[in-house]
Amino acid sequence: MTDAIVMRGVSKSFGQKQAVIDMNLTVPRGALYGFIGPNGAGKTTTIRMVMAILFPDAGQLSVLGRPSAVESKDRIGYLPEERGVYKKMKVGAFLRHMGRLKGVPGAGLDAKVRAWLERMDLADCERKRCEELSKGMQQKVQFISAVLHEPELLILDEPFSGLDPVNTRLLRDLIREQHAAGRTVIFSTHVMPQAEQICEHIVMINKGRKVLDASLPEIKARFDPHTLLVEPLDGSAEGVLAGVDGVRSVSRVDGALEVALEHGHDPHAAIRAIVDATPVSRIELRRPTLEDVFIEIVQGKATNGDEAALRAELRGEAEAVAAGEGER
Amino acid sequence: MNRVLAVAWREFVSTALTKGFIIGAVVVPLAFIAMIPVIVMLTMAAKGPQVEGEVALLDRSGVLVQAVERELSQEAIAQRRGDITQAMAEQMEQIGPLGTAGGAGSAASAESAMAAAMGQVPVFTVVPLPQDADIEAEKALLRPDAGDDKRLALAVIAPDAITKSEGAEAFGGFDLFVRSKLDDRIIEEIRSGMRTAILQERYQANGFSPDEIRRLTTVSTPRTTEVTAAGERSSTQELTAMLPFAFILLLMISAMVGGQYLLTTTVEEKSSRVVEVLLSAVSPMQLMTGKILGQMAVGFVLLFVYTGLGTGALAVFGLTDLIGPVKLVYLFVFFVLAYLMLASFMAAVGSAVNELREAQSLMGPVMIVVMLPYILWLPITRDPNSTLAVVLSLVPPMSPFAMVMRLTSTQADVIPTWQVLLSIGVSAIGAYLSIWAAAKVFRVGLLMFGKPPNFRTLIRWVRMA
Repeated sequence: MTDAIVMRGVSKSFGQKQAVIDMNLTVPRGALYGFIGPNGAGKTTTIRMVMAILFPDAGQLSVLGRPSAVESKDRIGYLPEERGVYKKMKVGAFLRHMGRLKGVPGAGLDAKVRAWLERMDLADCERKRCEELSKGMQQKVQFISAVLHEPELLILDEPFSGLDPVNTRLLRDLIREQHAAGRTVIFSTHVMPQAEQICEHIVMINKGRKVLDASLPEIKARFDPHTLLVEPLDGSAEGVLAGVDGVRSVSRVDGALEVALEHGHDPHAAIRAIVDATPVSRIELRRPTLEDVFIEIVQGKATNGDEAALRAELRGEAEAVAAGEGER
Repeated sequence: MNRVLAVAWREFVSTALTKGFIIGAVVVPLAFIAMIPVIVMLTMAAKGPQVEGEVALLDRSGVLVQAVERELSQEAIAQRRGDITQAMAEQMEQIGPLGTAGGAGSAASAESAMAAAMGQVPVFTVVPLPQDADIEAEKALLRPDAGDDKRLALAVIAPDAITKSEGAEAFGGFDLFVRSKLDDRIIEEIRSGMRTAILQERYQANGFSPDEIRRLTTVSTPRTTEVTAAGERSSTQELTAMLPFAFILLLMISAMVGGQYLLTTTVEEKSSRVVEVLLSAVSPMQLMTGKILGQMAVGFVLLFVYTGLGTGALAVFGLTDLIGPVKLVYLFVFFVLAYLMLASFMAAVGSAVNELREAQSLMGPVMIVVMLPYILWLPITRDPNSTLAVVLSLVPPMSPFAMVMRLTSTQADVIPTWQVLLSIGVSAIGAYLSIWAAAKVFRVGLLMFGKPPNFRTLIRWVRMA
């Protein structure tokens, strides 16, 4: 069977701005891929090109074995980042309309819509106008419209933005369920921990370029741990730790000390040395998070890396700031 | 194709099956038509109160008191009114071939309507004033604070009203002063009474018999009869002159309403961000086609409702031969062409802007071009084969409007068929080109947010896509 998505040297620019540069990507069938990267990295543009909403300036692209998504739109479910509903339309009517547009046969469409609304805890909303729903509820309706036709490939662009924790969990379960049913799922997010929780495979995009394309275990293995988290009993042990052999730097993070080791230094030896040097209440090897990996990759290449700001954004804190400013 | 129809169906349902549309576009015109007989009945039933009062007369010529008294008597007024209604009835008979079937009835009803409109015949008492009367004092009596309710008017007749003074070119006349807020029909009665009195006196003073004069100055206005291939028929000039106007209005309203809704729904889809969800299911071209078709159906509903009402109204008067099936077929053909040009433009504008407000500046120039035949309806209908009319009817996007105007104007049968067909062909090419360009703008514009575009950006998008 052919791969779900294949991109070869795909580029796209808008005027002066290069949104996607020389993108090579293969997503096999049945995979669960996460596209991650900060805002404006080119995730949405890449997805829009896959969906044949935008057309690449250069390069080749194949979706579900066809040269363009236009020919296989019915087999793709898409939840765009810029999503909306017909405000005046009833929820049930909207979903039936989307179902018809997606080629769901008329017989059984009603039953399908009802079953999904039930599943999403929206059964009593079928006769309500879309504008009467909260934003989170509208998002669930949009998710239904993306999966109603049982697509082989499901593309979700920032599916979690604006959802409360309960619905985030519901959506996460649904994504896993779609994946378990053998469907190829791709979702993009700028919030790394979310990707870490769900994805099997990560594609990192920064400034229009793919900077990482690997499975989660691979990433963890490749970026070997070299940070220790230490809580010393003695509050003034910072200086002592800095003097331990193999320690590159010590910084205070949330009441504990983060001890960065020099590259290539054996972490086990370092732990032993630290315990010998000062009594500790807790010491652990810190696993690299996607965030750490991303920062490491980006910092190697980008020059204007204001790390704190970038980290804040990648944790989804930036979202709260943006929400405070009021969305567009 | 199913998808295009699904889009079209949603577009139609969400526009035409709303309370606002049904009430605004269908119920209100129907109710308006239904109201006409009621209005007519109300007008006929309405009778003003009878007016009674004095008319003070300062007759400086010294010979007119009797004549004025005679002409302001109730009998004289009633007779003059009869004359007017008679003339009106004659006029009415000329307008339509109403004289053939229900003619007598309508003339009679027009007469009674006229009589009703005039109110009941007023009762005037003429009060002759002495020659040395103080005009200012008499005028003061007309003021509302004078406390004299009976005094309605003061007429002052010039000394030379009957006999020309030495060396003067014309006779003298009279001045009329009236109480404020006096019914204008009453004033007209007094004025015409005075005029008649003066004229009668002058005739006699010069040795003419008033009856003789009336006979001499009356020519009965003949009825115009059109000589057509099908035989003679009474001319219906006023109606035929209105016909192109009605047709063009119909065409304009149907095409504009559909186009306007298309603009609104496109902007709404864009601003509510539902558009990208749609684009995951249909291509921009399918979306645009569906929307255009859906709103075309809305335009057709309007066209059917109004042509139905119009033809119905004409059928009541037995005038259906004025429009005829060929003209109606042309109307529908040109509606489709005019609508397609307008709608594709609206779709392009709707996809390019972020809010409805921004669309206005883009629409202005195009609207003026489309409205051109509408502004020039008089020259076009008077001479439908003039260079101006021919050129306008062959240049899109005005062509459908101008051609329909030419076709429906009085001398429609003299328009060469090749011009009609050429106009259809040219309009079809215009429609095709505008859809082609609109599709490009549509595809680029739908996902563009930010600065509202101007014409130059739109043209760039056409080139780009």
